[in-house]
Amino acid sequence: MSASKTTGWHHLLETSADDYAEALRARDAAINGFLEIDTDRRRTPGGVSPPDDAPPDGAGPLAGLPLAVKDNIAVRAFQLSCASRILANHVAPYDATVVARLVAAGMVPVGKTNLDEFGMGSATEHSIAGPTNNPWDTDRVAGGSSGGSAAAVASGMVPLALGTDTGGSVRQPAAFCGIYGLKPTYGTLSRYGLVAYASSLEVAGLLSRELGMVRAAYEAASGVDSMDQTSVGLPDAQARPAAAVQRVAFLGGELGLDERTAQAYRRMREVAVGAGLTVEEVELATADAMMPAYYTIAAAEASANLARFNGVRYGERPIFAENPEALVRHARTEGFGAEVKLRVLLGTYVLRSGFQEQYYQRAQRVRTAIRRELASVFANHDLLILPVYPTVAFRHGETDLTAFQQKLADRFTTLANLTALPALSVPAGVYDGLPVGIQAMGPAFSEERLMRFAELVAAELPPERPPAYGVPLCDEIGSGGGA
Amino acid sequence: MSYRSYVGLEIHIQLATRTKVFCGCRAAFGDEPNTNICPVCTGYPGALPALNEEAIRKSYVVARALNCLLSPLCEFERKNYFYPDLPKNYQISQFASPLGRDGFLDLEFRKRRKRVRIRECHLEEDAGKMIHAGDQSLLDFNRAGTPLLEIVTEPDLEIGEEAEHLLQEFRRIVRHLGVCDGNMEEGSLRCDANVSVNVDGAGLGTKVEIKNMNSFRFVRKALDYEIDRQQDILERGGTIVQETRLWNENRDVSESMRVKESSNDYRYFPEPDLPPFRTDDAFLASVEASLVELPAERTARFVSQYGLQAAQAQFLCEERGIADFFEAAVAAGAQPSDAAVWLMGDVQKLLNRTGATLTESPLTPERLAKLLVLLGSGRIHGKLAKQTLEAVFTDDKDPDHIIAERGWEQITDPGAIGKIVDAVLAEQHEAVAQIRGGDDRPHGYLVGQVMRATSGRADPRLVQQVLGERLSLQFIQVLSFGGAISGTRRDDGVVVPGSLESLTRSLRDDPALPAGIRYDELDLGGFLSEEVTPRDWALLIRAIARHVAVGDTSGIVIATGTDTLSYTAALLSWLFGASLPIVLTASATTGDTAESRDNLRHAVQAAMNRTPGVTVVFGSRRYPAVNLKFERVTGESAETAFRTWNPGGVPEPGVGLWTNLQGATGSREPSQPGADLPDVEMLTERLEGAARRIFVAKVFPGMPAGALIALIDAGIRYFVLELYDTGTASVRETPFSLRHALEYAHQHDVTFFCTSQQEADVDFSTYVTSHDLWRGGAIPMGKLTTESVYARLLAILLTGAAGDGSDPKAVARMMESG
Ligand SMILES: [Zn+2]
Repeated sequence: MSASKTTGWHHLLETSADDYAEALRARDAAINGFLEIDTDRRRTPGGVSPPDDAPPDGAGPLAGLPLAVKDNIAVRAFQLSCASRILANHVAPYDATVVARLVAAGMVPVGKTNLDEFGMGSATEHSIAGPTNNPWDTDRVAGGSSGGSAAAVASGMVPLALGTDTGGSVRQPAAFCGIYGLKPTYGTLSRYGLVAYASSLEVAGLLSRELGMVRAAYEAASGVDSMDQTSVGLPDAQARPAAAVQRVAFLGGELGLDERTAQAYRRMREVAVGAGLTVEEVELATADAMMPAYYTIAAAEASANLARFNGVRYGERPIFAENPEALVRHARTEGFGAEVKLRVLLGTYVLRSGFQEQYYQRAQRVRTAIRRELASVFANHDLLILPVYPTVAFRHGETDLTAFQQKLADRFTTLANLTALPALSVPAGVYDGLPVGIQAMGPAFSEERLMRFAELVAAELPPERPPAYGVPLCDEIGSGGGA
Repeated sequence: MSYRSYVGLEIHIQLATRTKVFCGCRAAFGDEPNTNICPVCTGYPGALPALNEEAIRKSYVVARALNCLLSPLCEFERKNYFYPDLPKNYQISQFASPLGRDGFLDLEFRKRRKRVRIRECHLEEDAGKMIHAGDQSLLDFNRAGTPLLEIVTEPDLEIGEEAEHLLQEFRRIVRHLGVCDGNMEEGSLRCDANVSVNVDGAGLGTKVEIKNMNSFRFVRKALDYEIDRQQDILERGGTIVQETRLWNENRDVSESMRVKESSNDYRYFPEPDLPPFRTDDAFLASVEASLVELPAERTARFVSQYGLQAAQAQFLCEERGIADFFEAAVAAGAQPSDAAVWLMGDVQKLLNRTGATLTESPLTPERLAKLLVLLGSGRIHGKLAKQTLEAVFTDDKDPDHIIAERGWEQITDPGAIGKIVDAVLAEQHEAVAQIRGGDDRPHGYLVGQVMRATSGRADPRLVQQVLGERLSLQFIQVLSFGGAISGTRRDDGVVVPGSLESLTRSLRDDPALPAGIRYDELDLGGFLSEEVTPRDWALLIRAIARHVAVGDTSGIVIATGTDTLSYTAALLSWLFGASLPIVLTASATTGDTAESRDNLRHAVQAAMNRTPGVTVVFGSRRYPAVNLKFERVTGESAETAFRTWNPGGVPEPGVGLWTNLQGATGSREPSQPGADLPDVEMLTERLEGAARRIFVAKVFPGMPAGALIALIDAGIRYFVLELYDTGTASVRETPFSLRHALEYAHQHDVTFFCTSQQEADVDFSTYVTSHDLWRGGAIPMGKLTTESVYARLLAILLTGAAGDGSDPKAVARMMESG
């Protein structure tokens, strides 16, 4: 977090954009974090950033920093594929608001990162470009769906990346890769330019190894956006929850954690106690209802959000079709992957007339109950600490966890999405060669409190780099070293 | 078996907002395809909707105007269906919580007042347009995302015409509110309907949806077609299939589009991209502020406040701009009736010619008021007033400026006119001598000479007055129009037609009448009243019209016969309204009797009192011209021969339909007064043409429908039908009832105007059979008598007040506005 660690990134694009691009491609060969790379910030016409857009170098903490963007967020003149065949040749004509704001603060998009198709998955394996590998162990997944962004940061390719978090898609890969992943309060980062999967659940999120960078980027990118009427401004500092942390609640009960995660969770508790915090344990009565509610709502919204990809305006269109119905059927059958089809079908199913009460409306009631329960937790505690995921990064394929187990394993992360509350995945040490992240959740607009807690943890358990990627690219290029 | 039909409408209006409902694109009709589009309205991945405040406010304004309960929380939902013109493949709409619900719209149609319930109003986005070109389909997204307000009525309507009427009233409302231009051809107003027919008393039937009705006329035709179709099926013992049908306007039939085995499942769910819109006090205040007086209220107010005819008020209130213009002109000093007549007549003609709209024309309310004040105060006369109006349009200057510039100001100084009159009289020795000798014929010639001497600028009324004073004369025109009053009784006791000469001679000697009156006699033919023909009427109308145009008489007395008096009186009243005192009289006996002399004297006295309007004098009584009923033959004592039916239902004399033929300002013609009057031949031709299309019939037990059908086949297009009571007749399933005639008439665009054999108010609201008549399209004529209705129909067809008379709807509208 100290400035000296990041100075290497600031002038990199100015002085060695081409070297950087070359090094990126080289390092990514083993990771497969990027779907598109272009470090030339002066892409014109229609480039991302006319030179006079950016403040003078050194004018802000983000000035000149390379930015990786998950490929379901629009960056003008970059592709916007969502890792789906159906949008394979799609190029965005505009910037998402979060991108535009980070660009205005001096950041430079240098590439689009891999993801599970349309953000549906927790391993970045459902991608037309193939899976992203974990920098700590390339046999393992980077997590998902923002796996490309997490791996790009963790392997030192970029200092900061944008992801999206619908049910844990920023926090879980951040935990798997040993970096910070912030899922902010719903609405504080505009969704304009995020290809929607589940609109009421998802937010843009930030991934970095440096807390200071997360903080600066959040400050630069948040705030009301007239293009997104669900966006909200941050309340004045005095109206926000106080940043100080005193009383924290740890989620108790039968959590079903693997050994390394359980160990990290205990360690986290020791750190909290050691720092003089009041630590208590809470259990959530609504825990069992959470996953069905989450999947019902997410799938319902997805079924509508993805309806536009039908080969008429968006998606690969067959050369000839007898009628519009045939065209749509063809485009969607060919264009979507299995996981996407599954969720769209599920969403269509739960929204059928006559079944809404049984599924969709019931899920909404569960959501309300969860919100109430969390509100009562935060009436007595500054933060809720809980695991991000029950396991460390699992191996590619279904050898460790089946697809169904993976879905169930989202139970710790979806809580923040269902309640619209902020949550930060905090590195909690490396165990047996793999990092574990632990999650801190707070009341709305308590992002600063989450970061204070993370600082407190970092004093004991500073984030580590994967052994294979001990030197970030900026230093590698800066020191004259090549790939 | 009696059936009942239930029609509900789903009306969509495109709200006239600057931008689309969820993005900043221009909401415009007719631009190049795909020019008004952006990531939001084309459903670009990542784009989000942002609600347009103007659209939501206008939606609430409409809901408020339709008396809906306004939802304090306006939630949007996604309506999911795949269609190529729908960019996101869901439509942002409202479902569970529409912005307005449980409203109503009060209608009056064919004398039936009805409250049509509005189920709900909801805001949604429009789709794009798919255009088929050969084997390709092209998409234009300019329309995608324009705000669309859907208004759903309960199935409270019953027939096509009524639905058309509601739709037109609705169009007036939204245009008045300024939220939609209501153009069905361009699709800014669209209407679908649901129709069901069932046995009366059995509730709603199986619902059929009708789509593709692209004009008001098609709505009427398609719904009537569907009601007939369903009723036919039921009558034959069949069952109605629930389906959607499309109106085929080229073939005048509807065609099945899809049978609804299971309705579309739109899988509505709350739109997560839009937070619910909450109405706060400021918003509700802005909604209230956008409300204006609605056309129906305003029309009623124009009648009561300004004394306008219903038709005039309706014309003015059709457009808010015209109604505002009218009121501004009145505020600026114009007489309301003058302003109405000019706006409907000369101003409208100029607008049609120049293609301008009133509000953007050089004519301002102030200028019109000024012009009418100049006209009213006599500073200009009629013809120059018209020319001044034209000059306002061409020169864009104030009327007084134009008049001063062109030297058009009328001579209104009695002194100046007196000098000119004296000069003319000094030259015209012969004419003066003739008049002084009792022969009034040169009078008109002298008027003409004075007008010529002033290049037409002298005020004709003043010329009349001065000339009358100089020659010590007041002119009453006496017209002899057949009847016993001007006939004689032969030795065998039979009355034969004659002339009026002996009567007017006796008037001159009548000590009860002032000496200064001069009688101008015009004999329009010796015939008995029962023998009157269209040609006779044409002669009479032409003679009156000339006097009205020239202004050379202070009153007209018409001596005629009793049999057709109620027809002639009503005809003249509908035609000439309140232009001149016109008094009809008759007598039960021949002209040489004391009764005839007394009646004629009373008529002259009535004409002298200068109250304009048509009246009838009989015995010592004076009657309105309309609703006069010749009730009994009383021999020598004529007192109770006539009676006015429904005296409370007699309309006040207004402008008169003649103005439609003569132009708005026919009453004051310049140098050649009456030169542009239509001639007798043309009037005869028109009256005969009208008479050939009208038939007066009276229902009676055993009336054969076949006879009426034969009349329709023979060219009858309008029936004046005398029913029983408040409008009842047999509509049973038998050849001896109206049923088949009504159906046949409906298919042939034949109209029934219904009166009663009794003194009643025909309104179709009381009896079951009335309801069937109403559904069959018969038009109740309220408190008017058969004679008055027939006369009005003639007057409308004669003057072209409803166009050339070929559009029965226009004729019906004029009939109802009487
Ligand atoms: Zn747009």
